[in-house]
Amino acid sequence: MSRTVITLGPRQLGLEEPMYFRVQTAGDRVAGLEVLAGQVHRGLEHLTLKRNFYQNITLLERLCSLCSNSHPSTFCTALEELAGMVVPPRAEYLRAVADEIKRIASHLFNCAVVAHIVGEHALFRRVMELRETVQQTKEAIYGNRMDLAANCIGGVRYDLDAGRVGYLKSQLEGLKAPLEELYRVFADDPALAAATVGVGVLTREQAQAFGVVGPVARAAGIDYDVREKSPYGAYDRLSFQVAVQAAGDVRARALVRLVEARQAVSLIEQCLDQLPEGPVALMSFPEIPAGEVIAKSEAPRGELIYYLRTDGTDLPVRLKWRVPSYPNWAALGEMLKGEPVSRIPLIVNSIDPCISCTDR
Amino acid sequence: MHTCKVPPLPKLRLYRINTGSCNGCDVELAATEAITRFGLDRLGLSFTADPTQADLVLITGPLTVSSREKVLAEYAEVPDPKITVLIGVCPISGGAFRDSYAVVAPLDEFVPVDLNIPGCPPRPQAIVAGIAKAVQLWRGGEHPPVSPGPEEGSLTENLRGRMRYRAEACVGCRICQHVCAGGAIRFDEEEAGLGFTLWHNSCLFCGMCSHYCPTGALAPTREWDLAHRQAEKYRQVEKGVVPRIPCSACGVPMLPVVPELMKKGYRALSAETARLQTLCSECRQVRSLEGVKRCTT
Ligand code: SF4
Ligand code: SF4
Repeated sequence: MSRTVITLGPRQLGLEEPMYFRVQTAGDRVAGLEVLAGQVHRGLEHLTLKRNFYQNITLLERLCSLCSNSHPSTFCTALEELAGMVVPPRAEYLRAVADEIKRIASHLFNCAVVAHIVGEHALFRRVMELRETVQQTKEAIYGNRMDLAANCIGGVRYDLDAGRVGYLKSQLEGLKAPLEELYRVFADDPALAAATVGVGVLTREQAQAFGVVGPVARAAGIDYDVREKSPYGAYDRLSFQVAVQAAGDVRARALVRLVEARQAVSLIEQCLDQLPEGPVALMSFPEIPAGEVIAKSEAPRGELIYYLRTDGTDLPVRLKWRVPSYPNWAALGEMLKGEPVSRIPLIVNSIDPCISCTDR
Repeated sequence: MHTCKVPPLPKLRLYRINTGSCNGCDVELAATEAITRFGLDRLGLSFTADPTQADLVLITGPLTVSSREKVLAEYAEVPDPKITVLIGVCPISGGAFRDSYAVVAPLDEFVPVDLNIPGCPPRPQAIVAGIAKAVQLWRGGEHPPVSPGPEEGSLTENLRGRMRYRAEACVGCRICQHVCAGGAIRFDEEEAGLGFTLWHNSCLFCGMCSHYCPTGALAPTREWDLAHRQAEKYRQVEKGVVPRIPCSACGVPMLPVVPELMKKGYRALSAETARLQTLCSECRQVRSLEGVKRCTT
């Protein structure tokens, strides 16, 4: 059998972001994989130490635009913990609304990409159209389609009046049937099944060994979701079932995301129904004492961990992340082993990798 | 009557390069391409995956040190003449990532740029409007009309577009500059007063400045079509001067206390508060102390 080494770039991998793989092949199969990271390294750890907490809220929102709300909201949570601030309940709910709306958009984008790669172009357009409803909603409520600018230290920077609540509810209503339908397509369509079932399998044991998180872990039967295991913000007052699948293949990952998109709709509705009265933020310029803190959340790609150390000034002394894509990248070698080279783009995209988070 | 058929213009081909973005601009570009409503099709364009076939290059992201060599080689593969369009403030100015050891910005130090489309990220309508201007540059003359479709007013009510500054409401507290992650705001002590400058090509359209501004001197407008020729790059600014006025008691030049701030500080504005407004902080203190004296004696 012929053994060769090939290098694949973003275009061959079907990625929006620059990432390169060195793949060892045996015949037409993948025998080994080396990820050549670093193209999107922007020196974020260094930059955050040069920016004050307020500037960092905006900077961190640009660490990755697909999980853009998870970064500033987790960062603000860390600061609030250090300052001993109790965020007003209304703000907790509004943070959850922002997080969940981003989750729907993020998951749908990944579904669209997967459809595109398996050659289902009509489905790709359909998912992108559906996602437009979410994009429009974000723009109408927050003022931008990607970066919501929803968070500030002590709460959020936006409010929902009765008119906006009504608008949001009707937009959500419009998402329900198409999301159900999309789930059925990914679950039942024979062509999609042929392309995704049993492909890129990560077993439960492997998933555990690699410590993967998010939809990649849940698709392999691991019942772990930060929103449920260690609820933050409003999540202890919201109800949902952790989306778990057993197969650990490309389809299982897509199904987990589609279930989570449907759940996100319900979570936002619960937030709107329970939305307590009151302020949306505490005072503007709190003192952040010296200290050390860890905060975590369930970003669209899984558990996001923030480590922050402060010295009493308004510049961080150290800020470090464990982003969800990091452990998930590492497990990719297992998912690809023995698969045909032609399936690499599909399997890579099935973990919904975020390069700007990982390279930062 | 004019009956001869004009042969259709050949389709222009677009090639995309991501130099290390947060993926915001790229995801929006993907939506721009996928959603026909945005009207990219009507401009007579198609995307190509082959740089040697391209006429227009769209570049997103800040140029990172590690992608630089690959990006410049890829760019060189696109045959001349070509039109280079920068999407998002990252390649235009470095955006949120300016002055990092890992980023070499702005991109126009490395490649000749024709058109800039500011935003972080710009909305698809802004991307299409910008590309239409690039097509016009390429073809000469009028660019084909772009209509991104009707937009309901209420849907864009909150849009964070170009920032607007009103010197008459500014107290010069500089909190906007303090919270600005883009480094877009600068204050200068000028002869006429306190000079304010905001660079739209560095702005991240985050609205942090307007959120913390105590008087509402800064606010986002709904203006989103900010695409401009490279020659106009450094003219994309918002400027204003807060004039100094002499203190009505001692004559020292001072920044006026604006009504917006007085309304925050006092329950009701009266002749007395109007007089306080014309005093410098020291004279104000003296006057307040006198007031205290009057009360206690
Ligand atoms: S301009 Fe903004 S959205 Fe675009 S790549 Fe840069 S940080 Fe991301
Ligand atoms: S909106 Fe204001 S704070 Fe944000 S980058 Fe622009 S000027 Fe700076």
